Amino acid sequence: MIPLPIQIIITAITASILAGITCSLIGVFVVQMKLSSIGFCMSHAAFAGAALGLLLSTDPLITALAFATVIALILGPLSEKAKLSPEVIIGIMFSLTMGLGFIFLNFTPGLAATRQALGILWGSIFSVTIDDLILLGLLTFFIVLLLILFFKEFQALMFNRKLAEASGINTSLFYFLILFLIGVTVAFSLKLVGGLLVFALIVNPASSALQFIYDLKKVMVVSPLIGASTCLLGFFSSLLLNFPIGSSIIIVSSFTFCVSVILSPKRRRG
Amino acid sequence: MPEMVVKLRDVETTYEGEHLPAIKDINLQVDLSEFLVVVGPNGSGKTTLLETINGLLKVTHGEVIVFGHDMARNPSRVRKDIGYVPQDFLSEPSAPFIVRDVVLMGRYGKLGVLRRPERRDLKIAEEAMRLVGIDGFADRPIGKLSGGEQQKVMIARAIAQEPRLLLLDEPFSNLDIDSRRRMSDTLCKLHDERGLTTIMVTHDLLSIPERCDRIIVMDRGRIIVDGEPKYAMQKAEDLNILVRGLSL
Repeated sequence: MIPLPIQIIITAITASILAGITCSLIGVFVVQMKLSSIGFCMSHAAFAGAALGLLLSTDPLITALAFATVIALILGPLSEKAKLSPEVIIGIMFSLTMGLGFIFLNFTPGLAATRQALGILWGSIFSVTIDDLILLGLLTFFIVLLLILFFKEFQALMFNRKLAEASGINTSLFYFLILFLIGVTVAFSLKLVGGLLVFALIVNPASSALQFIYDLKKVMVVSPLIGASTCLLGFFSSLLLNFPIGSSIIIVSSFTFCVSVILSPKRRRG
Repeated sequence: MPEMVVKLRDVETTYEGEHLPAIKDINLQVDLSEFLVVVGPNGSGKTTLLETINGLLKVTHGEVIVFGHDMARNPSRVRKDIGYVPQDFLSEPSAPFIVRDVVLMGRYGKLGVLRRPERRDLKIAEEAMRLVGIDGFADRPIGKLSGGEQQKVMIARAIAQEPRLLLLDEPFSNLDIDSRRRMSDTLCKLHDERGLTTIMVTHDLLSIPERCDRIIVMDRGRIIVDGEPKYAMQKAEDLNILVRGLSL
């Protein structure tokens, strides 16, 4: 095991827990509303934005946020109005944003920038600063607050958008809010697991929780618990086995999902 | 003069990407406490008509007025008073929603943003479940229920909304004959007791409640017959529409 200063370890553990909670809460929306393709595109848009930030020597988080937000604002109406299938959206946007991201990285000068660029791709939890932690904490608080305030609207929307609209809920407003939150969460989680893997952290814990639970309120509690636990387990596994942290977290969360599918009572007959 | 609840003037609705309108030249007025049944073969525009009335579909021509409000502007406010039972609703088997919560969702639009359901709302939802006979399923996941039971949940949800206008799209299509009769009686009783205005769509002539005040017959997106039940059915038969697509 690599010896590390305790402050770095505490910062990394806290970041893991917060990112695990935030991603897996947002993941419930993504999985239940079948937004995987849109969310996947936004994770790569955030990656491209962060790469642009490096190229322009600005804070990658700001450009990642800007890219993810812009994509959320474009993709939501686009997928609704143009009635494009998720496969078409994912095919075009994934390649476009990845292409842009690699072009930005290609033009980014200097060794330090290259290291930062790799951090965006694969995650670099040890580069998380106290400021990042505060922002992540605020985001977690903000998402939990929104969930408490608008739970009934989110619940109705997740059950059936058309029925929610028919009963008088302004579904477009809440739908775009969800897309925006996905974008922001992705941008804030880039440092932890990287642009290529962040989406697994969003989808896996929620999908695991949904294998066992039929009550949305309980899913909203269990999913972040799974998210935070898998992040912690992945973090410690990476320290023990000297694996990249982002990859370890994703392997643990994917393994958790596989076990959940095998044990799921929802998949038993009768 | 009776109070007007729904008024459609020269309405035409075309689905996105389509060239031909699904409904065309629709002029219709439904008055307070009226029980209107819309019949017609598959694809005649019945569902489009209902979804145009509650604003889920935007008109490409004409105007839809419900409770005095133009549905093209701020339909959310009006929809709080419109109960809607969709056609052939089926939830995914693993969906994380229990029946009680789904019925309670009918109250959400009425409650408004930031207000949580209170004890009174739960009571109304429970009463709605009792009325349609699903109170025994309250804690079961909706996806685990049969098609007919899920249809009852949708009806209970619409009742829990305490609407002034009730839109029912083939509400008995998944029910057996016995349940169909009981549900029809329940809805008619509710209609009378609460002074509702009801518009029910069906292609099954046996589903038409005796209580209905008026029938309109649709064919190829147009209203071709509009009148009191006996007259409308006779006229539709004369026009040979019933044998083309309606089931007896």
